[in-house]
Amino acid sequence: MSDGSRGRDGSDGSDESDGTDNRRDRPVRLRDGNRTTRLGDRIERRALTGLAAATVAVLALVFYYPVGTVLVESVVVDGAVTLGVFADLLRDPFYFGELARLFAGESPLAVVRGLLGADRRLGIVGFTAYQAALSTIASVALGLPAAYLLARFEFPGRRTLRSLTIVPFVLPSIMVAVGYVATFGRNGTLNAVLGAVGLGPVDLMFTLEAIVIAHAFYNAPLVARVTTAAWESVDAGAVETARSLGASPARAFLHVVAPQVYPAVLMGAALTFVFTFGTFPIVLALGGFELATVEVFVYRLARDLNYAEAAALAVVELVISLSVLGAYLRYEARHTVTSRGVRPLPRRPLLPSAPTAREVLPRLGLGVYGVVAALVFLAPLASMVLASVTGGDGGLTLEHYRFLLERQRTGAAFQVRPWPAVRNSLVFAAASALVALPMGVVVAVITTREYRGRKLVDAVAMAPFAVSGILVGLGLLRGLVFGVEVAGWRIAVAGSAAIVAAHAVAGYPFVVRTVAPGLESLDRSLIESARALGASRARVLRDVELPLVWPGVVAGAAFAVAISMGEFTATVVLATGADAYTMPIAIERFIGRRLGPATAMGVVLLVVTGVSFVVIERLGGEYDGI
Amino acid sequence: MGSEGNHRKTGPDANAPVAVELEGVGKRYDGTVAVQDVDLRIREGEFFTLVGPSGCGKTTTLRLIAGFEEPTEGRIRFGDRDVSGVPPEARNVGVVFQNYALFPHMTVGENVGYGLRFSEPPGGASREERVRELLELVDLPGTADRDPESLSGGQRQRVAMARALAPGPDLLLLDEPMSALDARLRERLRLQVRSIQRELGITTVYVTHDQEEALSVSDRVAVMRGGTPEQVAPPRTVYRRPASRFVAEFVGDNNVFEGVVAEGNGGVEAGVGADSTARTVPVDVGGETLRVAVGGEADAEDDVPRPGDSLTFCVRPQHLRVGRTENGVRAEAESAEFLGETTRVHLGWGGRELVVRTEDPLSGTVAVGFDPADAHVIGADPGE
Repeated sequence: MSDGSRGRDGSDGSDESDGTDNRRDRPVRLRDGNRTTRLGDRIERRALTGLAAATVAVLALVFYYPVGTVLVESVVVDGAVTLGVFADLLRDPFYFGELARLFAGESPLAVVRGLLGADRRLGIVGFTAYQAALSTIASVALGLPAAYLLARFEFPGRRTLRSLTIVPFVLPSIMVAVGYVATFGRNGTLNAVLGAVGLGPVDLMFTLEAIVIAHAFYNAPLVARVTTAAWESVDAGAVETARSLGASPARAFLHVVAPQVYPAVLMGAALTFVFTFGTFPIVLALGGFELATVEVFVYRLARDLNYAEAAALAVVELVISLSVLGAYLRYEARHTVTSRGVRPLPRRPLLPSAPTAREVLPRLGLGVYGVVAALVFLAPLASMVLASVTGGDGGLTLEHYRFLLERQRTGAAFQVRPWPAVRNSLVFAAASALVALPMGVVVAVITTREYRGRKLVDAVAMAPFAVSGILVGLGLLRGLVFGVEVAGWRIAVAGSAAIVAAHAVAGYPFVVRTVAPGLESLDRSLIESARALGASRARVLRDVELPLVWPGVVAGAAFAVAISMGEFTATVVLATGADAYTMPIAIERFIGRRLGPATAMGVVLLVVTGVSFVVIERLGGEYDGI
Repeated sequence: MGSEGNHRKTGPDANAPVAVELEGVGKRYDGTVAVQDVDLRIREGEFFTLVGPSGCGKTTTLRLIAGFEEPTEGRIRFGDRDVSGVPPEARNVGVVFQNYALFPHMTVGENVGYGLRFSEPPGGASREERVRELLELVDLPGTADRDPESLSGGQRQRVAMARALAPGPDLLLLDEPMSALDARLRERLRLQVRSIQRELGITTVYVTHDQEEALSVSDRVAVMRGGTPEQVAPPRTVYRRPASRFVAEFVGDNNVFEGVVAEGNGGVEAGVGADSTARTVPVDVGGETLRVAVGGEADAEDDVPRPGDSLTFCVRPQHLRVGRTENGVRAEAESAEFLGETTRVHLGWGGRELVVRTEDPLSGTVAVGFDPADAHVIGADPGE
C-alpha cells in the first residue's frame, strides 16, 4: 500500500492537466502492493530461473567440463599447447587412408589417383564414413516403403505398427547386436535355415553386411517415422488442386507430395548418418577390431591409456558429425514448408479393389517388402530368444538361464553376476530419469520460448546428442571419478554416480524431444491468462503447462529409463574395474565367451526394456519427434 | 473492485481519475515497429476501445498494458505508479482472449476459481461463494462442475469473463473476445459485457477490429493505424467528425472528396442549412463546385479555409441524397448490394466511387447531392 499512497501524494502536488490531478477514489493498486511479499513468493517467482541455472550447472559439471578436460588433453602435451597430435592424426594413413597424403602435403592429383586405384586405403575414418553411408542408404531403402505403407494405407493394426516404429530407440544396441550374432553367427538361425534347405553355411559375422543390416534395423524405423509424419501432413486439398489443374497422379505426387516429404527423408538420412558414424556397440560386437570404426578406436586408444590421441580422434569424429548435422540444418532452415495438413490424404485399403496393375502392383511390392522387413526386424529378436533356450545339441533347454542363476550363486568377485547387473541397471535408470526429467523439462521450457539467442541455447543443450559417448565417459572418468582439485579440496565422484550422470546426459535430450512439441503447441494465451490471474511463471508451469503436456513428460521419463537401460558406450568406459556394471555390460562380457548366457541376459534386458515401452505406449501417445 | 458508486450505470465523467496512462509508448521487434508514439489516458470506470485493421498495433498495446510485453520506449502507469518491469501476475488485471483460453484440464468452477489461489476473494467471500457469484453474474449458474469442452463458444467466453473478474481486478482487458463467435451471438454478448462492465464500474480496455462493435459499446474509442492512435474520442465524435481520411473510411461507409477551395461562387457564406453559425465554402472537386460547411464561430476568421487551399471532406452515404440536384453531381449507378433494410449503391463519378443508401436499386445516371452542413471537413492545407 505504501507505494500507492506515496504516488498519490506526489501527483496531488503536480500540475498535470485535466484529470490526473484529481485522483480521489480507488487508487489503482498493484497486486504485490497490497500484501507483504513473502519470502516464498519471491523464491517461487525466481523458481524457473533457479531451475534453469541448476540445469546449466549440471550440464556444465557432467558434460561440458569433463568433455572439455579430454579435449584439452588433445591439444596440451607436456604443458605446451600444440596441434601436433591432430597433425599426426591427419597425416596417418591408418586413420585417413589416401586422404592422409593430402594432409601430408602431396598433390591432390596423386591422392585422387590413389583413391581411384584398386588398392586404395580408406583408413579408419574413411571406413567409418563408408559404412555410415551404406547404412544410411540401407535405412532409407528399408524405411521409405514403411512410410508409404503407414501414410497411404489403412489396415487393422496400422496405429500399433506406427507406434512400434519407436521400439528401436528403446532397444539396447548391445542386445540387438546379440540378436544379430544369434542370427548370423556360424551356428546362428540363418545357417540353420539354410542348412535345412540344403544350402551351405555362410559366415556373415565380422562382415560389413552384418553391420549395415544391424544399422538398418536401428535407423530405418527412424526414417519411416519422420517420413510418415511429413507425408501425413500433406494437405489432400493441394493434391486435389493439382489434379484439377491437369496433373496426372504421378505428376501430382512429383510436384506436390514429394517436395513436402523429401526434407523429412533427408532429415532421417542425416540423422542416420550421424548415428551410424558414431556407432559403437554394434560394430564392437559384429565387427570386432577387424572392422573398427572411429568410435571403437577411440575406445581402444582410451583403454590403452593413450588419452591425447583418443581425444583428438574423438574431436575429428565430432567435427565430421557436426558438419553433416550443420549442413542438414542449413538446408532445413531454407526448405522448411510449414503446411499444417488441414485434411490428410485419404488412406487406401490394403486389399486391391480391382484386379488392375495400378491397384495390384504397389500392394504386391509392399508384400515383398513386408517379408524383407519381417526378416530384418524380427529375425534378430526371435533368434536371440531362440538361442537363449537352445542347448549345444540343438534341443530346447533352460541351461543358459540356469547358468545365470548358478553364476549369481557361485560367481567369483571378478566375475560378472546377473543380479548386480539387473539391480544396477534399474537403480541407474531410476536415478538418471530423476535427473534427466527436470533437466529435459526445463530445457524444453527454455527452448520453446522466443528470444534472441534461443538457437544457441538449443545447440548447447542438444550437444550431448552429437558427442561421442566414449568421449563423455572418458571425460567423466578422468575429470570426476579420478577427482579434481578445487581450491585445495579434492572432489571425486563414485563410478556409479558418474554413470548416472552420463545416462542422464544421454537421456535428457529425449525428454526435451517429447515434451517440447507439446509445450510448443500449447496456446500461449493459456499461459498468459494464468499469469494475469496472478500465477508466477513457475506456478503456470506446475498448474497449467505440465498437466497439459503430461503424456509427453511420461513418455520422456520412459525414454530416459530405456536409454539408461540400454546405454553401453559411456558405461563401458566408466564401469571398468568397478562393480557398477549394468545389463548391457554383462551381455558384452558374456558374448565373448559364450553366446547362450549372453542371449539369456539379452532376454532379461528385453523384458525389462519392454515394460518401459509399454509405459510409453500406454501414456505417451504418438510422438513424431525423435 | 473497491467502492462502486460514482460511475455506476453511467460513463465516467471527464475528470474521473486516470486509471491507465501510456506515455510515448513504443514497441519494436528486431527492427519492425509494432506500436509507436502511443499516448493514451484511460479513465477509471471507462470502457475504452482500441480499434483498427489487423496489424495496427491494437493487440500489442493491450499486451503492453497487461505486462505480457515490455515497451521498448515510453512508460505505462497504472494510476500514478510506473509498471515497467512489473510482471503480469502482479498487475491485478483480468484478461479475456479471443479463443477463451480456458484451462482444458480444469472444470468451469476451477477455471473461475484459479485466480483466487493467489489472492483473497474480494468482499470477504469464500472461494466457492465467489465462483458461484461470478457464474451467476455471467448468467451461467450451476455450471461449476462441468467441463469447459461441454460448453458452447458463447458460454466459454462468459466463463473466461467470469474467470478474469473473479479476483476483482482493477482493469479488465478484452482482446477481440467476440471474434470467434457468430454475428448474432456477438451482438447479444457485447451488450452483456457492457452491462457487466457498467454494473462493476470496472475500467475496461477492449480490442476489436470490428468498428461497429467499437462504436456500440465504448465510452471512448482509439482508432489505430500503423502502430499509432489516429483519433481518440467518443464513438459519436469518431463517427461524425473523423480526424483523418483513414478514420473517415475505416469507421463506417463514407464518401471522401478531395478538392480545392474555389474563388467566387458566393465565396464564404454564413448561415447555410440548419446550423446558422456554420459557414460554407465552395470547393472545386473534379470540375464540380460543391459547398461544404466549415467549422468555427462566425468571427473566427482564421479557421476558414481560403481560396486555393486544398480541402478534404466527407459525406456519409445516408447524407448523399439521390435526386437532389442542388449542391451535387451526376453519377452513373454501377452496382448495388441489397442489405435488407436498405440497399447500398455504388456510383461512378469521374473515376471516383461514391456510395449511397437507397430504398431501391438505381440504374443509369442519377443526381446525388448533399446538405453542406452534412459534410465534415477532415483537413485543409494552405495552397501555394
